[in-house]
Amino acid sequence: MPRPRFLLAIPAWAWLVTFFVLPVATVVYFSFGYKPGLFGTHATDVLSLDRYREALSPTFFTTFINTLRVGILGTLICLLIAIPMAYWMAVKVSPNRRVFLLALVIVPFWTNFLVRTIGWQVILAPEGWLSGLLQSVGLRDGPLAILYTRPAVLLGVVYNYLPLMILPLFVAFDRVGPALREASKDLGADRWRTFTQVTLPMARPGIIAGVLLVFIPLMGDYITATVLGGARGNMVGQLVASQFQAAQNWALGSAMAVLLILVIAVTVLVGAAMAYLVSWPFARHRRLRLADLPPAEART
Amino acid sequence: MSGSGEHRTLTDYLLYAWGVLVFAFLFLPIVVIILYSFNEGRLLVAFTEFGFTPFRAIVERPQIRSAVIVSIQTGAIAAVLATALGTLAGVAMARRPGRWVFWFVLLLLLVSVTPEIVDAVALLPWLVFLGQDVGLGIFDNGVVRLVVGHSLFSTAVVAYIVRARLVGLDAQLEEASADLYASPWTTFRRITLPLAMPAVLAGGLLAFTLSLDNTIISAFVQVSGTTPWPVYVLSALRSGLRPEIAAVSTIMLLLTLLSLVLVWLVLRRAGDSDTQIARTMTGN
Amino acid sequence: MSRASRPRPVRVLAHSSAAPRIRSELTRRGFLTVAATLGGATVLSACGGEESGSTATGTGTATPRATGGDLEDSVSIYTWGDYDSPDVLERFTSELGPTISLDSFNSNEELIAKLVAARGTSGYDIVVPTGQFIPQMIENDLLEPLNKDLIPNLEHMDENFLGRAWDPENQWSICKAWGTTGFVYDNTVITRELTTWNDFIDAAQNEASGRTSLLDDPAELTGIYFWANGIDWTTEDEADLQAAEDFLVNDMAPHIAAFDSYPGGSAIPQGTHVLMQSWNGDARIGIMESPEPERWTWVLGAPATELWMDNWCIAKGAPNIEAAHAFIDFVLHPDQVIDQVDYIGYHTGAADVEARAQEAGLEMLDLVFFTDEQVATMQEGEVNSAQQRIVDIWNRTKAAAGA
Repeated sequence: MPRPRFLLAIPAWAWLVTFFVLPVATVVYFSFGYKPGLFGTHATDVLSLDRYREALSPTFFTTFINTLRVGILGTLICLLIAIPMAYWMAVKVSPNRRVFLLALVIVPFWTNFLVRTIGWQVILAPEGWLSGLLQSVGLRDGPLAILYTRPAVLLGVVYNYLPLMILPLFVAFDRVGPALREASKDLGADRWRTFTQVTLPMARPGIIAGVLLVFIPLMGDYITATVLGGARGNMVGQLVASQFQAAQNWALGSAMAVLLILVIAVTVLVGAAMAYLVSWPFARHRRLRLADLPPAEART
Repeated sequence: MSGSGEHRTLTDYLLYAWGVLVFAFLFLPIVVIILYSFNEGRLLVAFTEFGFTPFRAIVERPQIRSAVIVSIQTGAIAAVLATALGTLAGVAMARRPGRWVFWFVLLLLLVSVTPEIVDAVALLPWLVFLGQDVGLGIFDNGVVRLVVGHSLFSTAVVAYIVRARLVGLDAQLEEASADLYASPWTTFRRITLPLAMPAVLAGGLLAFTLSLDNTIISAFVQVSGTTPWPVYVLSALRSGLRPEIAAVSTIMLLLTLLSLVLVWLVLRRAGDSDTQIARTMTGN
Repeated sequence: MSRASRPRPVRVLAHSSAAPRIRSELTRRGFLTVAATLGGATVLSACGGEESGSTATGTGTATPRATGGDLEDSVSIYTWGDYDSPDVLERFTSELGPTISLDSFNSNEELIAKLVAARGTSGYDIVVPTGQFIPQMIENDLLEPLNKDLIPNLEHMDENFLGRAWDPENQWSICKAWGTTGFVYDNTVITRELTTWNDFIDAAQNEASGRTSLLDDPAELTGIYFWANGIDWTTEDEADLQAAEDFLVNDMAPHIAAFDSYPGGSAIPQGTHVLMQSWNGDARIGIMESPEPERWTWVLGAPATELWMDNWCIAKGAPNIEAAHAFIDFVLHPDQVIDQVDYIGYHTGAADVEARAQEAGLEMLDLVFFTDEQVATMQEGEVNSAQQRIVDIWNRTKAAAGA
């Protein structure tokens, strides 16, 4: 019986077309229109690229740059924190305690992220206890002034997205398994070389998954950034939201939304290309070396 | 495993210290919130004196409870829906490969790189259009709207996870089943689904978690009266957060910990090793 | 509606000489855009079979839907942050039954955008727009007419706050509260005395740089520049607007730490900023909640500032229209007024409210009630052809502040 091969994918396909492709396509369509008069939201009888020009005007362009900077820096910091953390959990912690620790990583997720962010606001407030503590210990002269600065924005996003980085990395490190590491050790590699040349490359899928899971939602988030960063946390998401929520300019808001998707897609592609370029020579090298085994000592 | 029986090196200690620090970082604000949930004052952020009034407010304020219930309800429905759709799609991609997979993955990629705010602004007019102009009254329902909004990203994620799991496993069992004249449905139910189960469960859990925290899409598509918890908090943020919000968070945290312990006990009784449980929870 | 017919204390409240013009302007412009909005909001109107004809009617003719039937189980209010006393809300539920759910917005623009986009499916029953936005909302078919027979407590209102220019017959709206805009500063950091908007700007650029917050509301943002420079804040003159934009984007934005419509909710008690533009009632809440209230000084904007009046209205398509009427009637009753004033810190427009508040010994009443001289410096806003421009300036200022 000739059934199409994609039969089982049809429900998901239909669902996503109905509630993602069609609505997002209308947004793309609106982005070529304009805002008619005072109280209209959008019109599409004359199509142009003017809204894109407007969205990239200098004032809004800075917001795009700002968002990209927060997105990239935030993702990198998450990665740097998560690699040793996930490695520790997957390799060093005894399996009995591993489940417990994993659950602990997930738990913060289940308290509302806004409430968690408010927790930080309380901690960092100039009149808060951390400020008092630092002053009494003599680490600071005046009250703590980190709230509503760029570092506060980064702190907020790193805090909220860190678990999304730790989990896939943990899975990846866990998968490498002890056998490969032992083999590497037997071949004379020290721990650092084993980590950089066996464990880390093997964990690449996890790293990619983690980076994407953090970077993409982070780029669209604007609430976390504004709670701790105030005016400094102005993200593109905020611009899009305010065009729809306050300015009622759906055309401009749509153009900004489309640009945001493009920025994310391009960054992901560039990132992928760079990762490939960086890892390619290593991959080659390793293959060659495996080929001219055994003189293990000679290579060090 | 490694480490046991060997001497602990400096690196081990450093890693250990790092782990402790990261956990401290993750839990610091949560501890603060728990402490502040015993605040008698009017505002959450201004601690006046210790007391239990905020917890009483949960009993007295029906809208807080209803927001939490809406969130849990929506999370459960969205998780089941996304898991069903995503699992079927994931199985199809892994077991029925072809040129269509390329296009389908492209669609999933597009869904995943689209930031929430774009889904949000696109969905609201669309759902209103379906409800008011096409006459599908079901889309005027708040829970339905939330479920639709929360299911998009989750469906894509579940599809990825299930596909990744099945691609890693040989299809021989399914072929054997087919050779033994099992119907495709029986093969799916008896062989494929159990193989994919850890990924399905992990995907479902993830979908539920994402739905529980979804604020941006919810804020746009929600219908008043079925306001989910994160939107309630966002709204309260504007008018000065009250200690009740911390109290609710504390209770939700306790319930979460309790249910995690339960899951752990159930899985343990089922005979899985701890590592197996860990893998199930993280989608392996 | 003329000035002369009004008693002295509300001289400026009756700033309604321009009303007929505004109203007709709005009516004409509004009508043209109803079709555009509704036709456009019918996403992909090409595929949607129905046209907007059915929805475009219904404006002007006000036939209340509420009949005084049984109350529904709940009522949903979309309003400004922290704008009703929880005690009053609880009493309503315990006495009359319907449970209340509250949602809040930051600006009238946000309220209207939500109602426009949801087209009667928002689920909100009661909304609380500022007066000058009401004609637009009526024209866009966002409101239900009130059935005043179901609101007998209207008689307890001070007449000066009824029959305003935007709704002369109170067919659609009843005054909820009115207030003004000023700022609060930390007198331990800013040691000189600030009294005007010019002082505000100067402090923001100097000792309060990077520790200043502004209201997250377009008109109040541009208002700072206009009030400080003696320009009518309802100006439609492009040169004025351009000057305001240049000033806010280049000279003001770099010094701004946050855009916060409710600093009283956490910024004042936490001492987050040292200079905060604020509405009077919110400033009062914040100072009362602060552990060191004497640290904060409230300044009414000068030489000119705004006067806003928010109104109880019922949203189009309100699912609980009977309960909504019952709620409005309930809060207008004299028994609830003092609790409301004490909690929100605004004049509610009820008769004799000032005397009763003093009798009840409420705190900090100088932030709630104003003298005739002060009221004379306040001016109501307008929704005019500059509206879009002002929202643009607000967006650009926010973008510049984030850079």
